[in-house]
Amino acid sequence: MREVSIIIVGFGKIGRAVARTIASKDSDIAGEFGVRLKVVGICDMVGSVLDEGGIDLGKVAEKPWGKHKDFVGRKTIDVIRSLKADIVVEATPGNVSDGEPGLSHIKAALESGKNVVTSNKAPLVVAFRELKSLARRNGVDLRYEATVGGAIPIINLYESELKPNTINSILGVLNGTTNYILTKMSEEGVEFDAALKEAQNLGLAEPNPEYDVKGIDTAAKVVILSNALLGKNVSLKDVKIVGIDEITPEAVDLAKEYGFEIKLIGDVKNLEVSPRLVPREHPLNIPGNLNAIMLETDIAGPLTLVGAGAGPKETSSSILSDIIAIAKKL
Amino acid sequence: MKVDLTLGLKDVPGMLVKALAPISDRGGNILSVLHSRDSGERVEVNIVFRVRDQSMLDEILCSLEKNKIPVINAEVEGKKYYRKKSLSFIFIGHVIDKDIQDTIDRINALGKVSDVDVRMPDPVERSSVLLSVDVDEEKLPSLQSRVESICSKKEFILIREI
Repeated sequence: MREVSIIIVGFGKIGRAVARTIASKDSDIAGEFGVRLKVVGICDMVGSVLDEGGIDLGKVAEKPWGKHKDFVGRKTIDVIRSLKADIVVEATPGNVSDGEPGLSHIKAALESGKNVVTSNKAPLVVAFRELKSLARRNGVDLRYEATVGGAIPIINLYESELKPNTINSILGVLNGTTNYILTKMSEEGVEFDAALKEAQNLGLAEPNPEYDVKGIDTAAKVVILSNALLGKNVSLKDVKIVGIDEITPEAVDLAKEYGFEIKLIGDVKNLEVSPRLVPREHPLNIPGNLNAIMLETDIAGPLTLVGAGAGPKETSSSILSDIIAIAKKL
Repeated sequence: MKVDLTLGLKDVPGMLVKALAPISDRGGNILSVLHSRDSGERVEVNIVFRVRDQSMLDEILCSLEKNKIPVINAEVEGKKYYRKKSLSFIFIGHVIDKDIQDTIDRINALGKVSDVDVRMPDPVERSSVLLSVDVDEEKLPSLQSRVESICSKKEFILIREI
């Protein structure tokens, strides 16, 4: 049985879900792929838990951070550089203006010859080409399925199955929070502010919701899809962005009367994020906090993928799939 | 209405029947069929037929498109024919106060505003207005950019069809 060692960087909701998923799928992965995943380090802002023999994930994921017997105050960047490991899972929250702290984490991992799996959009939005080329130069892999569409396997599907196709267009409902708000406005006729408040109460929207409702999160995903699937070299400033925070209940009603729903659409080919009228029977008319991505390809024709766009457990599915893809090649 | 249609067909057995079926099935009265086979893999076929009205012609053109039969040219009573597209837009802003007649006139210069539906919760609040516009297919890009320009100048939020 081959052992693959992992450092998890960022131990919030997603990092903990990754630890739980690895622990719960341990024997399935071993049986299916002949690989044992061993987490040797977990790092957070305040310190790290390190154990080269493998951390007991069942315990660490549930306990308050900092009370673990192997907790040390070492800085994340030092652990990434010095601890021996095959894969770094980068799951910190990101800042799309400078990509930090994830950008430094990913660079340090790639420079020290470690493969990287990330759910953090910000470093890829800021430095996609630079990071891909750094990975190539160091002979390691950088995988980022979890950055777009949560559990939807869009990037890996393209890489493994659709490469000979020319993609004519990519349209998507790429943000679950805004889709939840617009669905609520449509189904219950409530104002934007009331729908947002409910999304916040349910934990679907952040206390500061601007990143979602002003379309920035969707735009970040548009940038990643454009660079990854269309081979472009674009950044956030290239995307024309209009959010949903000025949508009125009257506009939602009008749309419904004429056979449409209003959805926040990321148009990857045209680098645009805007609320659009989606015909009721269109594949992108999906309810609640779901995400959907629709590709128009020259050989396969139209393809639509629908799934959970967020949520720690769902996101950990994409992270685990990237980990296994790397593990199989080691 | 007399229609003169030029199609570009693949030079394979059965293509001509496949191209004629959408016309005859929808009640078109075929007057003549001419084809010239001088250009490699494709054969240009000229079909002259009569239809009852524009909606019958649009149905025929739509069916040809669905069957992936390329229409090179279409003329009705000797004039080039463009299929009409119907589009909806929603504007959010002070749409009435900012000269709605001017907005409609500027769109009408490229197409035809066929419906205007206004929702105004309060005279001082922003209104939400849906406009349905019929436009020739070839003028679609110009219409889109004109609508964007109007919304940008008059500070409306624009919600257009996907």
